[in-house]
Amino acid sequence: MATTWIEKLRSAQKTCLLQDGRKKVHFTFPDGNEMAEEYDVRTDELLVRKWRKKLNSFATKQNSEQWEYEIGEQLAPRNLESAGLMESLSNPIFVRKDSNTAFIGRVRNLPFPIETYNVTVDEDKKNIVIRTTNKKYYKKFDIPDMLRAQIPLNQDSISVAHANNTLIVSYKKPKAIIDMEKQIQTEIKKMKAAKDGDVDCTPS
Amino acid sequence: MAVPTAESVKEVREVTRIERIGAHSHIRGLGLDDALEARNVSQGMVGQVDARRAAGVILEIIKEGKIAGRAILIAGHPGTGKTAIAMGMAQALGTDTPFTSIAGSEIFSLEMSKTEALTQAFRKSIGVRIKEETEIIEGEVVEIQIDRPATGTGAKVGKLTLKTTEMETIYDLGQKMIESLTKEKVSAGDIITIDKATGKITKLGRSFTRARDYDAMGAQTKFVQCPEGELQKRKEVVHTVTLHEIDVINSRTQGFLALFSGDTGEIKSEVREQINSKVAEWREEGKAEIVPGVLFIDEVHMLDIECFSFLNRALESDMSPILIMATNRGITRIRGTQYQSPHGIPIDLLDRLLIISTTPYSEKEIKQILNIRCEEEDVEMTDDALTVLTRIGMETSLRYSIQLITAANLVSRKRKGTEVEVDDIKRVYSLFLDESRSTQFLKEYQQEFMFNELGVTGDTMDTS
Repeated sequence: MATTWIEKLRSAQKTCLLQDGRKKVHFTFPDGNEMAEEYDVRTDELLVRKWRKKLNSFATKQNSEQWEYEIGEQLAPRNLESAGLMESLSNPIFVRKDSNTAFIGRVRNLPFPIETYNVTVDEDKKNIVIRTTNKKYYKKFDIPDMLRAQIPLNQDSISVAHANNTLIVSYKKPKAIIDMEKQIQTEIKKMKAAKDGDVDCTPS
Repeated sequence: MAVPTAESVKEVREVTRIERIGAHSHIRGLGLDDALEARNVSQGMVGQVDARRAAGVILEIIKEGKIAGRAILIAGHPGTGKTAIAMGMAQALGTDTPFTSIAGSEIFSLEMSKTEALTQAFRKSIGVRIKEETEIIEGEVVEIQIDRPATGTGAKVGKLTLKTTEMETIYDLGQKMIESLTKEKVSAGDIITIDKATGKITKLGRSFTRARDYDAMGAQTKFVQCPEGELQKRKEVVHTVTLHEIDVINSRTQGFLALFSGDTGEIKSEVREQINSKVAEWREEGKAEIVPGVLFIDEVHMLDIECFSFLNRALESDMSPILIMATNRGITRIRGTQYQSPHGIPIDLLDRLLIISTTPYSEKEIKQILNIRCEEEDVEMTDDALTVLTRIGMETSLRYSIQLITAANLVSRKRKGTEVEVDDIKRVYSLFLDESRSTQFLKEYQQEFMFNELGVTGDTMDTS
């Protein structure tokens, strides 16, 4: 349940940093995976949560340098040559961006009117599926927070809006999640944050 | 003279086949039925019923994959199908089982010790099937657009539109991706997968929706359904690499690129040990699976005593593949010693071997083999000519008569004939000497050859 996640966070090695009006928290879990979160200092909203999984691949030696974004957007420069192929910038782009009361998925570059979209929870209650009647866009995504808390998704909590070529799918956070986040928030508040620029370094 | 040469070159180019015809390209398997009984003529194999049945039993051992370190020796006269049986086994095992084929003399290199070369050959024959989750893009090509700059130089710009039944996405292409797309001849209507990490493109087939009644299609064109759901998927892929490849990747700083440069050099035993323990760990975790393969050493009598004693030890390791050796020697000197031994192999190693022997072909079998080769080399031959050729094969050797096929075909083409006739065979028979006639010739004219003034007889020549 929700407490297992908090336990996991407690077991991790944590560092905290204040930078650009964001509070950045870095977790290293005992299994070698890393997670980094960025909170807005004023509103305590979660802006970014990214993961770096430890790969154990001898045979292919893939680089595990890359961060995977769970929440927020990767603002890396596009390098077509090294990537080989990339989604064109005119394509719909899906980004998770949460508010304090809801999980929000935003899809930019979707010009079609709101009737086109059909947002449902799929059968196993773990994923949300966005379909389009004109077969131009399809996206199946899960909400990792809900998976971690092992709460099944509920169709009634979903609301859909469309404006400025952007489709906004929000899922109302259940009470258990809100409580848990508050608890995490207070834990993080307790942590001593190193200010950017003055690194904790006492010459001896 | 220059003009006709140029013309003939052009002619050859027009008939060039994609695959070249090798000595054993007609072999497609061992030609056994389900009960492991050898069919007399099947999958390019003729005769040698006992040897093929024995090979079939070995094949079952390999397929079960439990027994390590067995060795088989195929012994027989030259041209009795030893290599053909090994090839047949390779074909029957399929592409998933590693099959390494080396010749006994290949391991003598100045850059590498003999045992290192043998160890590498051993490790090339053990596959590791690794399950990994990778991100792939799978979809039907809607449109592929590649723009070359008007000046002719500079970077190409490309766009690829892919779709599934549910969605459509445009991708920008990098230089390398454009090249591999052109190389794979990807066109609109193809269903492809792209491995995101490696950029490898695989064509799955043509989309059903693009199938038209009168389209000219190759026989191997496969029609597949347009994929469903999202374009980008996480898929569990299984790839088979050999232990040697893992060794090379981990022994060099530049990683897998060393595989292409070819310069693998010697690999430290520490690296090997580390990899062995890692692979064992994966096996326990269920991430990987060992696929024992086959190492085939042709002309095994060319190995020397050091290699044989190394083989003795290597066969005892539980990571060793099934070893198949072939030799055409009888009782002869073991290389590197003064001792005589059957097949030129020390008795202690022979004791660990299962020996399959091949027998000379009968006249009927030779005729069938020649017939198969005629088909393989695309040569039409009259029955009489085939009979004559069979006679030649009986009297001289099978290899010689096989070589006459294409030569005779060229002769008949020059006289604008459609089929190879007896006269063509006679013509090439007189043009090219076989081994026994050549020996005869040498005996008669020995005096006229160079360095013969000293009167040295040919008997003292070392033939081992």
